[in-house]
Amino acid sequence: MTIAVCLKWINASGQTDIDDDRFMGFSYADQAALEYALRIAENTNDEVIVVTAGPVGAEAVLRDAIARGAQRAVRIDIDRSHDSAVIAQAIAQVVAHCSLIWCGDYSSDRGSGSVPAFIAAELSFAQALGLVEIQVPADSLHPIRALRRLDGGRREQLEIRGQAVISVEGSTARLRRASLKGSMAANKQAIDIVTVNQVATETPPTRAYRPRARAVAAPVGNSALDRVRQITDTSSSKGHGETVHLEPREAAELIVSKLREWGYQS
Amino acid sequence: MTDTDIIVVGAGPAGSCAAIAAAKAGKRVVLIERGPFPGSKNMYGGVIYPRILDELIPDWFEHAPIQRWIVRRSTMLLSDTGALNIDYRSNAWGQAPYNGATAYRPDFDNWLAQQAVAAGAELICSTTVTGLLRDAQGRINGITTDRPDGDLTASVVIACDGVNSFIAKDAGLYKAVDASNYTLGVKETLSLPKNVIDERFGVRDNQGVDIEILGGTSGVNGGGFIYTNLDTIALGVVLKLPKLSAQKKRPEEIIAELKRHPAIAPLIEGAEVIEYSAHLIPEAGLDMMPKMVADGLLVAGDAAALCLAAGIWLEGVNFAMASGMYAGQSAVQAITAGNTTASGLQSYTKKLNETFVLKDHKKLRKIPHLVLSDRVQHKYPGFVTGIMERMFRVENPHPKPGVRRILREERKKAGISLMDLVRDALTGLKGFG
Ligand SMILES: Cc1cc2nc3c(=O)[nH]c(=O)nc-3n(C[C@H](O)[C@H](O)[C@H](O)COP(=O)(O)OP(=O)(O)OC[C@H]3O[C@@H](n4cnc5c(N)ncnc54)[C@H](O)[C@@H]3O)c2cc1C
Repeated sequence: MTIAVCLKWINASGQTDIDDDRFMGFSYADQAALEYALRIAENTNDEVIVVTAGPVGAEAVLRDAIARGAQRAVRIDIDRSHDSAVIAQAIAQVVAHCSLIWCGDYSSDRGSGSVPAFIAAELSFAQALGLVEIQVPADSLHPIRALRRLDGGRREQLEIRGQAVISVEGSTARLRRASLKGSMAANKQAIDIVTVNQVATETPPTRAYRPRARAVAAPVGNSALDRVRQITDTSSSKGHGETVHLEPREAAELIVSKLREWGYQS
Repeated sequence: MTDTDIIVVGAGPAGSCAAIAAAKAGKRVVLIERGPFPGSKNMYGGVIYPRILDELIPDWFEHAPIQRWIVRRSTMLLSDTGALNIDYRSNAWGQAPYNGATAYRPDFDNWLAQQAVAAGAELICSTTVTGLLRDAQGRINGITTDRPDGDLTASVVIACDGVNSFIAKDAGLYKAVDASNYTLGVKETLSLPKNVIDERFGVRDNQGVDIEILGGTSGVNGGGFIYTNLDTIALGVVLKLPKLSAQKKRPEEIIAELKRHPAIAPLIEGAEVIEYSAHLIPEAGLDMMPKMVADGLLVAGDAAALCLAAGIWLEGVNFAMASGMYAGQSAVQAITAGNTTASGLQSYTKKLNETFVLKDHKKLRKIPHLVLSDRVQHKYPGFVTGIMERMFRVENPHPKPGVRRILREERKKAGISLMDLVRDALTGLKGFG
């Protein structure tokens, strides 16, 4: 089988709008994704293929990944300024045959973290997004066990079998160094270039998200600190938490109706 | 069979020129740099004299990432309150074939390394060379690095790893290290709008200014400099190491004091410090140079102490580029001739001797010591500014004093004997030749 890793070519210096060759690379989250793909492939004897969507310069990150142990590289020749859905569609065409598709949870150039979800939707793969802990299985017979970050400091335990899109946080793994010989060989390795059919049309611009205004009672408390805490503190329960057990369809309906009620959706 | 023909350690100006020269001659070259990109770890004052590049990159001035072309060169003598400025301007230096230029090293070094890549060299960054490999006869035939599977063999290794070269030391080419041969250079990069710099320094467009300063280093032997970039000013001091540690002064305090000097403060008023950096300079020239050739090894640039630091001259980059280029060419010759032992590589030393690289050093051999001597450092700035103060002060109703009287009195006041003055003058005349 083949494991894919999606790497975004970005300016890692923080000046995210300038393509300056000296500072280009891929985010810590993408690095962690690559590291997990390599670790799993070591145990399962899978092939690792790295994919980036971008101009010729972006091939540098693919060579870097090859030097660290990936076997094959594909560059999708596409303008990076397309929105996430278009980029995800292009990537999906290249990785449709893969068993696992690893991504970083966000790229550090103001990424929204939506590409992995779009890829999963495009391919109808399972998705395990925003993982904070991953147990690498001993072989391909065992599932991947992972922890996912939820709000309020909670964690969700996941078991990943079959085809899935996985995105990980940057802090979860440190990417291995490339060997010197690996780097030298990677400089010579051929990179496949794919031009994809851009089936998606750009989604029309939506207006900036703004929750509806709603009346909130003024906080009460003796000190200013207490009152500020009341508004901003997320660690303590506000008392409106509620656990419900529902079938997926009903759960989704409940979520949508609550979002409406709270003013997040009109 | 070796992994490659030539390994160049360090993608500074010396290393990149070595790699360009060797790659152009068709050899396989690997250029190894510890920083994430060439120039990322490198600092200097700010002026490059790139004419030596004519040979390797004939149209360099059209492509090199230059900030400003130097059209004004000043030498400033500072006493506590006074300043004597000798200022020369030549707008011709702002046009081809050009003279000096300010440039940022992360720009310039990266550009130069990319020229090596374009010539066919393989550039490997984020990799530190940790040692030398030797064959059964003890000849150097490669390097070790901090990377996994990180050994690499070659017919010739060219060490361009900068001041305090650990490779040249590892190869036993240096005599015992003496701190008094080094100075510490510290620099602040000060941000100001371009039009403000243009006005304060009397320049336009991409014209720039180079000011070398004697005195003003808070009693620590050394010197200072101010260079203009497009929208920053580089201001720094170069300090003799033993004196610096004896005085127990922090370099940043010395810079702060220099910035407060009445002749300097108006130039930099309102500027914001955007960078502070420090680096060693091999200051003693010929008196500290190592052997530059061993079996399978050449040493170039600061690694070979080839930086020329002689008071009104602070030139290292051009010496590095030239020596790197000659090292690259000699390595190619030796490999082609099938003899990469020290004797096969001797054409390098010969070339250095025949060109400005060692000729300038020989000519100016006495100058670094003279410029950094206690008399020149602590007595002459006060002496000279004292003379100026009295020559140009009009003290009517008193008549003007005679120049000879001023000279005599100021010399006594500064505590300089006539003998010493004559001796230093002669050393200076001979030294600057
Ligand atoms: C404050 C100051 C002001 C100066 N002002 C001027 C000036 O105005 N004009 C001028 O011409 N010169 C100036 N110089 C001198 C000039 O900076 C040097 O002479 C010049 O940089 C020497 O070039 P180089 O290539 O030999 O060494 P460097 O520029 O030091 O380059 C060495 C390279 O080797 C790399 N390296 C080192 N060790 C290893 C290793 N083990 N493995 C891999 N890579 C390694 C380094 O990262 C670096 O890129 C100044 C110096 C200082 C400190």
